[in-house]
Amino acid sequence: MRLRSLLAVFAARGVSWIERHFLHAKATSMPGKIALRIDPHVLGPLAGKLKKGSIAVCGTNGKTTTNNLICKAIENSGNSVLCNRAGANMESGVVTALLFGKEADWGVMEVDELSTPLVFPALKPSYMVLLNIFRDQLDRCGEIDTVMQAIISALEKTPETVLIYNADDPFCSYIASHVKRTIPFGILEDLHLPQNRVVGGRFCMKCGTMLEYDYHQYGQLGAFHCPQCGFQRAPLAFAATQVKLSGGISFQVGDNLIHSHYSGAYMVYNLLAAFAASQTIGCDAETFQQTIDQYHPKNGRLQKFAVHGTSVVLNLAKNPTGFNQNMSLLLQDPDPKTVYFIINDHDNDGNDISWLWDVDFEWLAQEKDLVVYAGGHRMNDLQVRLKYAGISAQLVKNVTEAVKLTQALPQERKLYVLTNYSALAPAQRELHALSSQE
Amino acid sequence: MEIRISHLFPELLNLYGDGGNIICMRKRCEWRGIDVQVQQVHLGNSVQFSDTDIVFIGGGTDREQKIVCGELLAVKQQLHDYVEAGGVLLAVCGGYQLLGHNYLLGDELVEGVGVIDLKTERGEGRLIGNVMIQSDICSMPIVGYENHGGRTYLGDCEPLGKVVSAGGYGNNGKDGHEGVHYKNAIGTYLHGPLLPKNPQVCDYLLKTALTRKYGNDFDFPELDDTVENNANLVMQERLKATAVNKMEVNARGRS
Repeated sequence: MRLRSLLAVFAARGVSWIERHFLHAKATSMPGKIALRIDPHVLGPLAGKLKKGSIAVCGTNGKTTTNNLICKAIENSGNSVLCNRAGANMESGVVTALLFGKEADWGVMEVDELSTPLVFPALKPSYMVLLNIFRDQLDRCGEIDTVMQAIISALEKTPETVLIYNADDPFCSYIASHVKRTIPFGILEDLHLPQNRVVGGRFCMKCGTMLEYDYHQYGQLGAFHCPQCGFQRAPLAFAATQVKLSGGISFQVGDNLIHSHYSGAYMVYNLLAAFAASQTIGCDAETFQQTIDQYHPKNGRLQKFAVHGTSVVLNLAKNPTGFNQNMSLLLQDPDPKTVYFIINDHDNDGNDISWLWDVDFEWLAQEKDLVVYAGGHRMNDLQVRLKYAGISAQLVKNVTEAVKLTQALPQERKLYVLTNYSALAPAQRELHALSSQE
Repeated sequence: MEIRISHLFPELLNLYGDGGNIICMRKRCEWRGIDVQVQQVHLGNSVQFSDTDIVFIGGGTDREQKIVCGELLAVKQQLHDYVEAGGVLLAVCGGYQLLGHNYLLGDELVEGVGVIDLKTERGEGRLIGNVMIQSDICSMPIVGYENHGGRTYLGDCEPLGKVVSAGGYGNNGKDGHEGVHYKNAIGTYLHGPLLPKNPQVCDYLLKTALTRKYGNDFDFPELDDTVENNANLVMQERLKATAVNKMEVNARGRS
């Protein structure tokens, strides 16, 4: 390693030590920021620690879950792995993850899509897993076209990277059409899900003709083809069939049955992506299934709590597709329930919350006996949106109050707490505190 | 009573919550017992301007806006006649720019439909953030969110209002004007859910359309707008207090 890079690593480790011992802070991406300040090219030498290679996981929704699953599956196959924490997915977060430990077999990194042009040339990932591209935080992330261009330019700089991608997504497929070595995955049957009102990517990225679908899963995902230029879903290398969505999910990929107690169509894609990546680098199917069985996320993604006898489910929903998927999930749940939506508009959420009007809240209005609360900095906007969807929502300050109100209702109910990005951690803290009072 | 709304190219111009304006017009009619027909005009369909009381044009991505512009140029004359005859029209963001003589497509200036005397030019950086304006069409300040790269300059027509928030840019970040109000056509950079949070603007459009159709003889009951007004007031307070806008140089997105 060059002297400058060594200096950067030492300084960053020092900062991290101070953070942990004196500030009692959880790991942040600050050490990575310091290292990059001292040596902007520090990522390249650090990536040299990874003996077998690295996997970069990208996509608007599902990055963290998929990344964690791949990481665990590779670990359970007897490898050492360096992996970045949820949220720390910019260049500094990737650098932070690589600072510690002498070496490892694999690096498994979730990478923010717009950070790929910075990260890829230095990390030179052996594989990129691309889950989906949905509209998300337009004021921060820019248009989908900008995101696609960023990823394409990143992949052009690392021609050795093999792209494992969701071929049901026309956006991902368009990116894949610029890449030499690809492994497409997708769902090879119609799941018959309710269709969304607002969908991006209706037009062929290559020629502008309206895409046609043999079947449509959700968002723009499905078996698509362009009637004009022949752009279409590629033949699937990993195809999910016999998908079951009730009572947990299960599906078949070739001879392998994959099942999980999680629910939701989006989890089929996450699990399928993780399976495709794990298989590709040599993990066997049995180890993968064991990994899923042991996977109990404590990161606010479908995290379960028990508060004085009330069961609470916490989940992140930060864009229309995420929200719609979440609502499908809770509508599948036959138990009586209340829902608490929390919407903030901090910089890391995106200041623009117009997207609430692209969410199909109208679905909820069909549910009889549903109690809805609205919270967060933009609780009033949320209340307006819900009013126009036919739902009268009460303004509620915090999770504690939402739990109290739920418990005061005549019938016993489950509470769903759905939050966007910056509201997730505070909600999680509240729920931890409440459930530890048991 | 009946109001017929034409929603132009919803599958292309539906960026970030613009459809909320249609939901709002529909509901506020239904709550008053007014029949509503929303005609979605798709690519290749022709717009029946004579059968339309309100035209809505949303915003789209650059790529999608390009497809729309070709389509609109084909009905340029009909759209022009509709606006000149006092037809009610609401155009948001990209849809607003399209109405002028020229507008920005990526870095390229292209010909617009030219039904309103305005033009859009290039500028350094994008104008992004929450904004509040005061307009003659309603007493309550109009709050919303802008995100545009183009700078729009008005010719022989009036702005929709003046920027009154501590931050906020409006048409071009220079003259303090926001949007355009020409005859019964309104164009604005306030994208997404403009009408739900500004119910007075929605009612202004509905009333104007009804007056054109039925004269002054129609029922237009007041609605309970507590929820909408509270959302508006929260933003008013915020925008008085702080400048929440940011200029993003090099960020690219919708124009």
